[in-house]
Amino acid sequence: MSKFLNFDTLSLHAGQTIDPVFGARAAPIYQTTSYVFPDTDTASSIFNLERGGHAYTRITNPTVGVLEQRIAALEGGSAAVCTSSGMAATFCAITAILSQGDHIVASSQMYGGNISLMKNTLPRFGITASFFDPTDIDACKAAIQDNTKLIYGELIGNPGLDILDLEAIADIGAEHNIPFMVDATFNTPYLCRPFEHGANITIHSVTKWMGGHGMAIGGVVVDGGNFDWGATDKYPTITVPYAPFQGINLWEEFGPSAFATRIRAEAMRDIGPSMAPMNAFLLLQGLETLSLRMDKHISNTLQLIEYLENHEQVTWVSHPSMSSHSSHELAQKYLPKGAGSIVGFGVKGGRDAGRAFIEACDLASHLANVGDAKTLIIHPATTTHSRIDADALVAAGITEDMIRLSVGLEDVQDIMADFDNGFRAAKRVAGG
Amino acid sequence: MYFEVNDKQVFATTGGKPFDNSKPVIVFLHGSGLDQTFWGLHTRFFAFRGYSVLALANPGHTHSEGPPLESIEDLGEWVNDVLVALDVDDASIVAHSQGCLIALEFASRYPDKIKSLSLITSGLATPVNDFLLKAAESDPTTAVNMMVGWGFGSAGHLHQGPIPGNSMAGGGFKVMFGNSPTALATDLHACNNYQNGKTAAAAVQCPVQVLIAGKDKMAPAKATAQLVEHLNNPQVIRFPESGHMVPLEVPNQCRLVLRDFIFANHPAG
Repeated sequence: MSKFLNFDTLSLHAGQTIDPVFGARAAPIYQTTSYVFPDTDTASSIFNLERGGHAYTRITNPTVGVLEQRIAALEGGSAAVCTSSGMAATFCAITAILSQGDHIVASSQMYGGNISLMKNTLPRFGITASFFDPTDIDACKAAIQDNTKLIYGELIGNPGLDILDLEAIADIGAEHNIPFMVDATFNTPYLCRPFEHGANITIHSVTKWMGGHGMAIGGVVVDGGNFDWGATDKYPTITVPYAPFQGINLWEEFGPSAFATRIRAEAMRDIGPSMAPMNAFLLLQGLETLSLRMDKHISNTLQLIEYLENHEQVTWVSHPSMSSHSSHELAQKYLPKGAGSIVGFGVKGGRDAGRAFIEACDLASHLANVGDAKTLIIHPATTTHSRIDADALVAAGITEDMIRLSVGLEDVQDIMADFDNGFRAAKRVAGG
Repeated sequence: MYFEVNDKQVFATTGGKPFDNSKPVIVFLHGSGLDQTFWGLHTRFFAFRGYSVLALANPGHTHSEGPPLESIEDLGEWVNDVLVALDVDDASIVAHSQGCLIALEFASRYPDKIKSLSLITSGLATPVNDFLLKAAESDPTTAVNMMVGWGFGSAGHLHQGPIPGNSMAGGGFKVMFGNSPTALATDLHACNNYQNGKTAAAAVQCPVQVLIAGKDKMAPAKATAQLVEHLNNPQVIRFPESGHMVPLEVPNQCRLVLRDFIFANHPAG
């Protein structure tokens, strides 16, 4: 082989070595806590990072490893570490390089859990954050402090759907020797590969479109392998000998996968937010059809946007594919195959009408998730983003009447018929 | 660690142990466009078994100060300069691809300074096609793609890797793209211009082993056969399923072969 395998082929094959004993074509589920060492020298070699291998499933597992290498391949990274959830991935990635006294510059338009992590949880450990409007690059630049060690944002903001200007922000990071970490859950590697635009680390909730079936929770951190940790003394967790592993210098010895190795060596060992092998297997099944599903998600999304725009009970519709959206140009640049399948819209009659709409829909599921094969709806202000304050709600692009729609793979005519029922109920509440 | 050679900063990984020239020394030499991280699955093993390890980044490669040296002969002399700078009397050398040509030059010029020589996937010369040479000069992205595409066997193309979660091909890309733009082009020209392989191989006096990959597109069977033919009684080991990147593609098997050879010919303690 001299030519590289393409995306769909990697989705099916990357990372998997055919089982040498039985020849299983599917990636086997290694439902085991631990692994028998052939001899003491091999055991000590694995523990001392002299060689690859598995010792304990909290740290590595062969089924999880297939998923990690597959995602690294699809994303164009050097290494990946899967975690028990997307939030675990974010926490592990941040704490791999930030310590007490350090600072994050983050987009204000993020999932409520991310905002809460940075506003409430991390400050208890001395890590603080400043938030910037993702449409204001100068604000990002201005928020950089001497102790800033990370720039963080979601490519497609949740739920406001503003698009981060990846290259402009990557330039700011490069100028200050600060890595740029992108939560790329909403786009998946099929719609955009942030490393190709200068990002250094990506995070995904694999639970969402990558898995697609809503059966398993999981997260992943992907190391872009493109940040020069040794260019500054700001990242001692990567560049200074690490005592628990006999003074290993990750940057010197692991180079482009030093960051991922730090997560593996510290977070997975000392904290242990591991992905279960069964979950990895389920998520692999989803990943195999990622491009097919994403194309259908996008197709349904575009048809539903047109439907919503023309519906008398809808006050506004927001999606970056719309020319009226403030991020439309950035969406065309970074997401040419489609700007994701989350749509925001308002129902005439405000919050009560919105509630009536949600409760009257039968096919669309009312739940706190996105990226399922099934269509999902929720009222963010009272659910997913209810734990952030009013100012942060506004900064996140959330209004009281907003309904967040995660477009599924059903026949789009059936979704529209379901919504027709919802809007009739909303109209009764709103009057008129 | 950083140290100075010919007034230039040189970077080497020492496998997690401080460099100590009172121990037997193993020098690792990387191939074109790569750096010391190529040896990550080998250096720690020897460093924790009584050896002092130096996985060098050649001049002008990632952390070592440039410019890159333009000939294999100059690089062979530079290896000697490294040993002199660190007050090392002799060393075993483990080399891959272009590193093998450098090692042949060093071994033939300084036979008293080499205890054993391990040559991984190389011939006596490395002719480089014009398209790749030109791409390395003017279109590094294409050149790196060609190097990685040809360098790895099927396991690399499937982004497998011996370290769970790591894509060896992904890592290879990042190292090559992270290097200075001139590093790969200079390396490839140095390989293409090298003509002294036969003479250098015939002059090697130390125990030598040759590791050959069955699916190697960069050092094919005909080229490695010529190397074997001109060396004095080499140990020959074949890895039928590996591509050119043997130390990454079959690291455990490769490590065992290196271990047995070096332990026998250059024992530690």
